[in-house]
Amino acid sequence: MGNGERGRPNKKMKYGGKDDQKMKNIQNAEDYYDDADEDSRDGEGEEKKRDFTKLELKPDHGNRPLWACADGRIFLETFSPLYKQAYDFLIAIAEPVCRPESMHEYNLTPHSLYAAVSVGLETETIISVLNKLSKTKLPKEMIEFIHASTANYGKVKLVLKKNRYFIESPFPEVLKRLLSDDVINRARFSSEPYYGGDGFSVGRTCGELEAGPGELLNEAEFAAAAEEKETHSFEIDPAQVENVKQRCLPNALNYPMLEEYDFRNDNVNPDLDMELKPHAQPRPYQEKSLSKMFGNGRARSGIIVLPCGAGKSLVGVSAAARIKKSCLCLATNAVSVDQWAFQFKLWSTIRDDQICRFTSDSKERFRGNAGVVVTTYNMVAFGGKRSEESEKIIEEMRNREWGLLLMDEVHVVPAHMFRKVISITKSHCKLGLTATLVREDERITDLNFLIGPKLYEANWLDLVKGGFIANVQCAEVWCPMTKEFFAEYLKKENSKKKQALYVMNPNKFRACEFLIRFHEQQRGDKIIVFADNLFALTEYAMKLRKPMIYGATSHIERTKILEAFKTSKDVNTVFLSKVGDNSIDIPEANVIIQISSHAGSRRQEAQRLGRILRAKGKLEDRMAGGKEEYNAFFYSLVSTDTQEMYYSTKRQQFLIDQGYSFKVITSLPPPDAGSSLSYHSQEEQLSLLGKVMNAGDDLVGLEQLEEDTDGMALQKARRSMGSMSVMSGSKGMVYMEYNSGRHKSGQQFKKPKDPTKRHNLFKKRYV
Amino acid sequence: MVNAIKGVFVSCDIPMTQFIVNMNNSMPPSQKFIIHVLDSTHLFVQPHVEQMIRSAISDFRDQNSYEKPTS
Repeated sequence: MGNGERGRPNKKMKYGGKDDQKMKNIQNAEDYYDDADEDSRDGEGEEKKRDFTKLELKPDHGNRPLWACADGRIFLETFSPLYKQAYDFLIAIAEPVCRPESMHEYNLTPHSLYAAVSVGLETETIISVLNKLSKTKLPKEMIEFIHASTANYGKVKLVLKKNRYFIESPFPEVLKRLLSDDVINRARFSSEPYYGGDGFSVGRTCGELEAGPGELLNEAEFAAAAEEKETHSFEIDPAQVENVKQRCLPNALNYPMLEEYDFRNDNVNPDLDMELKPHAQPRPYQEKSLSKMFGNGRARSGIIVLPCGAGKSLVGVSAAARIKKSCLCLATNAVSVDQWAFQFKLWSTIRDDQICRFTSDSKERFRGNAGVVVTTYNMVAFGGKRSEESEKIIEEMRNREWGLLLMDEVHVVPAHMFRKVISITKSHCKLGLTATLVREDERITDLNFLIGPKLYEANWLDLVKGGFIANVQCAEVWCPMTKEFFAEYLKKENSKKKQALYVMNPNKFRACEFLIRFHEQQRGDKIIVFADNLFALTEYAMKLRKPMIYGATSHIERTKILEAFKTSKDVNTVFLSKVGDNSIDIPEANVIIQISSHAGSRRQEAQRLGRILRAKGKLEDRMAGGKEEYNAFFYSLVSTDTQEMYYSTKRQQFLIDQGYSFKVITSLPPPDAGSSLSYHSQEEQLSLLGKVMNAGDDLVGLEQLEEDTDGMALQKARRSMGSMSVMSGSKGMVYMEYNSGRHKSGQQFKKPKDPTKRHNLFKKRYV
Repeated sequence: MVNAIKGVFVSCDIPMTQFIVNMNNSMPPSQKFIIHVLDSTHLFVQPHVEQMIRSAISDFRDQNSYEKPTS
């Protein structure tokens, strides 16, 4: 994100002071952007003021959609007639920072330019098109920046042809430079006669042929791209590929290599007979993302970013169907493995015996010489001892050459796991799919080199307008803390229970109950309630008598509950812990109520929203001006005056950057709801408080298992334990669980001998 | 005989009352400043603590509000 955010006004602070209760609506960055049109911006701190008067306005600036600033920021007017073309271009060369309705902000970064070069844009093309679209003369700094960043990027390609690795470049001098490096020179294939420094094989490739975006872009893009280019190449030793790649990274030689796969001319690996079924009609944006991937008839490695529910699976299946080679598909958990297998069968003509699932529950052996294998990251990266059966399957995976490595939800997988997966599986082309390219640890840029650059990123609001994803009303519900809960919250000795206290806030419970009732009865909606806090999850679900799914819920039971949720008229609400964040596909749901969350994780917020993004209802109703303005609802319940306010604002950041705005609701449940909702009387509230206070610290904390490291460790050998008090029935159904052994992360908690957890009988004895 | 004590009348919402009460409780006995808790939204406190309460509350709020990093 970098300096792009500097000049942004801080989102209006939200606090629960009395006078501010009515202050509303998270301020959208929009009004601010309008200011950007003027030469100076006032109202901001002295040091944040920037002077753009030096920029020279072109006489016909009215027709041009962009403002380009010297610091690499670019502003795009979305109401310009050239918006579509400009957007396609910008998304290829720059990183979107914030995309509200009428003005978008982008940031040019070395990575984004790397991505641009890798989809075939050249430095001169980038500059000339940018210049055409910009209202002002391009600042010198920006031109220099583009030159500097793209000078080396994308000049060298690593191509697999007939299972031989070639390093290819249109510039022989670059290859010479590479060969002067020791590591690379040694890796050069020895059988090839060496013609004293020069002697690269020369081939011809066709330039880019993409469906042309539009007038302004075309001339430049095609002029540069359509002409035939000479390429020079030399072959390297397959065993050395990893080292060579490493030498080429920016911290060494700085010629990062692009990887391409010439799958049409690959006649070593057997073809897989699969076609897209005729009813699989890729939508325009899916088409576009695929065209970036298969730009010149070869397959490029990279990441495609589409919002949840926008049809990522179809993109993945189409890519596999186009390459028509063996495909390894990696998902995050067993449920999504099933879903991927289903998607493959749904969209393509692949035969049942050509696709197999490999999870700890179902180890299907893979027959024939080409096919699709769907498995989880953990199954592949698992380091411990495997059963004999899965050892065989893994061995098979290792020995095979994969045409396509399809990776779902790439943002969740830590880099070291990726390296492992990538080292185990030999693949010609890697495609990563994700909705949210953010990580709280900012490790997301690692993906650039592990998989490849970002090939395409869709604009959420455009998809909403097109009716491809649901139009979601986001709301933050402010629930004041009750007196007793807040008093406990403030006490120092309760610092570990803070979370439990604000989650179990009776006002929040009432708001939640009210919303569930309202949506179930008035609208007939399907509702998902998310709670990260296991204690709250069980407490809420028990009280409201709704089914719930959390880490310890078995695969069979999960499937059963989800099935009931999908089909039964009586099951309209389901409670999910964070196992539901990713890839549990629940297309029926259109309401989300979030009662607790994983601190300030922007990714989680976006992923959860994604659960309801799949468009529902008739297309015409969904289009702008249709019957229903909103057809999905996202509520985040927040206890005011607590840390939760901080987290909640942080979490929303990602969605706000996508152009969503959050409405704040302060008066839920309505005052007249009275005793129709739970916890109306003070006695009830106090007994709830007592329950929270009595629960051991480890019980009220976050759910400890992480879906991210799902799979093996979770599904094998695992015990559920209840504390003493649970056994004795004094505390309702609260489970603690932990993984035995395997879990290396050290996150699991030890079971402390906590005197407060002793049963009352024994407590007396030991005090 | 009527005793008159000079003080400040504080009116705030329920959680903030609790916040102030909690503040008061954490003080050593000599520095306790609440003269009387009138009801769940009103307090009567010693006159000199007004500024301290204000700044404590504003610190508390700052802790609970997120500002987008402006690096």
